[in-house]
Amino acid sequence: MVAFRKVFIVTHHPKTVMASGYIVNRGVLTFGIHYQHVSRNVLLTHTREKKRWMKAYTLLMERKLKIEGPPPPKPRAQKPNWDYHAEVQAFSSRLKESFSPELLKTAFVNPCYIQSEQERRQALGVDSEMAALVLGDNIQLHRQGLVFTKSFLSDWCRASFPSLPSMGVVAIVAHLTSHPVVCLVAQNLAIEDLTMSAQFPVPDEVLHSTFLAVIGALHESSGAERAGFFLRDFLVTQLVGKDLFEMWSVVNPMGLLVEELSKRNRALPEPRLTRSAGAGTVLPLYFVGLYSDKKLLAEAPGETVLAAEEEAARVALRKLYGYTENRRPCDFSAAAQPQAPGLQSFSSS
Amino acid sequence: MSSFTKSAQQWATFARSWYLIDARMQPPGKIATMCAIRLQGKHKPIYHALSDVGDHVVVMNSRHIAFSGNKWEQKMYSSHTQYPGGFKQVTATQLHSKDPKAIVKLAVYGMLPRNLSRRTMMQRLHLFPEDDLPEDILLNLTEELPQPREIPRRLNEYSQEEREAFPTLWTPPEDYRRK
Repeated sequence: MVAFRKVFIVTHHPKTVMASGYIVNRGVLTFGIHYQHVSRNVLLTHTREKKRWMKAYTLLMERKLKIEGPPPPKPRAQKPNWDYHAEVQAFSSRLKESFSPELLKTAFVNPCYIQSEQERRQALGVDSEMAALVLGDNIQLHRQGLVFTKSFLSDWCRASFPSLPSMGVVAIVAHLTSHPVVCLVAQNLAIEDLTMSAQFPVPDEVLHSTFLAVIGALHESSGAERAGFFLRDFLVTQLVGKDLFEMWSVVNPMGLLVEELSKRNRALPEPRLTRSAGAGTVLPLYFVGLYSDKKLLAEAPGETVLAAEEEAARVALRKLYGYTENRRPCDFSAAAQPQAPGLQSFSSS
Repeated sequence: MSSFTKSAQQWATFARSWYLIDARMQPPGKIATMCAIRLQGKHKPIYHALSDVGDHVVVMNSRHIAFSGNKWEQKMYSSHTQYPGGFKQVTATQLHSKDPKAIVKLAVYGMLPRNLSRRTMMQRLHLFPEDDLPEDILLNLTEELPQPREIPRRLNEYSQEEREAFPTLWTPPEDYRRK
């Protein structure tokens, strides 16, 4: 083994500095050894030498960050590389929908933005006759979108879950059109970046109404079928992994079950303890089965017998309404039959 | 499993069960393997050594276990009192007469992993020499496990009809004298 010393050559003349970031064996020069024993601990950067001011600068910036906290978020429109018209076109082609450009641009304009723009212009002293603000509102489109969305979602629910009562359908539609769900979808579709509103970050209300206005614009541009597919692909898919009773809060599941069974002319449910574990301990488990006319409806676990019975009633309701975890998944394939809302109703589950 | 509420599903998954094993006429080693598997939690798909997912096991009739072969006379259990001359060796019979639970206990102890969880798992093993179990244990039980060994019947446990129906190679004549 040839003994060699690892040396980091440091000079002030930039030309004599070796390949930056590598610790090179000086033996290469003296003994003509044609291998290099390089250490990979040091980062290879594309600078010529270590900057003496870098460390002080980074420490100062970190101290400033600690004192002032993180910088406030900036809207995408105020960041570099932004062309509104191009973005709007890209929005429609990215979603493979043909929006009419004026309708789409109108859909993004909120009344709060128009108000704030007018106030700004007045404050700047711009003559309102000289530079009139010719921007339409999205209130009309929002109303259209809301009506269409609610009707489409209700029809879809009724078609997929024919035995679900109207209260359940209302609950599911309310969940899907609620602020958290709609704002999540809108943020991930880049509608938040394209919205024109007075405040940033865009408030939930405004984002919600913008999304519905976009749906309204789609409905006007491409028709009900395309808008229906859009809602199915982006809004209905938010149901994945959701349980029925997470969206629909039922206070008395046993009472509801009794009602449902009496509607279908079946015997009333009788609860029986199926199995138990650790009944005398502080962490018991009971499995209660509900039997209608000596046939098992549903079985469910619980901490106490009463909790297990209530849970069994919920499971029985889920089975009756066809909202179980092992139901046939919804058909999102391209060749699926289009649903004309209100005209046809078929079970796709 | 099928569409429970998330909290109910979690409670049922992580609950600790109580298993009952009847050790009458069973080899203690087979009993011990069944116990060890369930005490560690290896019968569950959520098993992890650090997760403490083991269940309770109640073994009854440990006085009536049945060693195969000559193990009652030949199997030796050793211990040392740590004092000089304190090495003691006893046969299985002697140990069993002194403490009817010891054989099963030592068998299970030897089959558990050699780590700090072993003592906790042994605390969850409940041994009873006879089949009279206390009330609180009876309340907790979930399930009885099937016995590992099929108990053969004695001749006097077969009925006369079964004995006659059993196929014979030949019937000896009336005056046949056995040596």
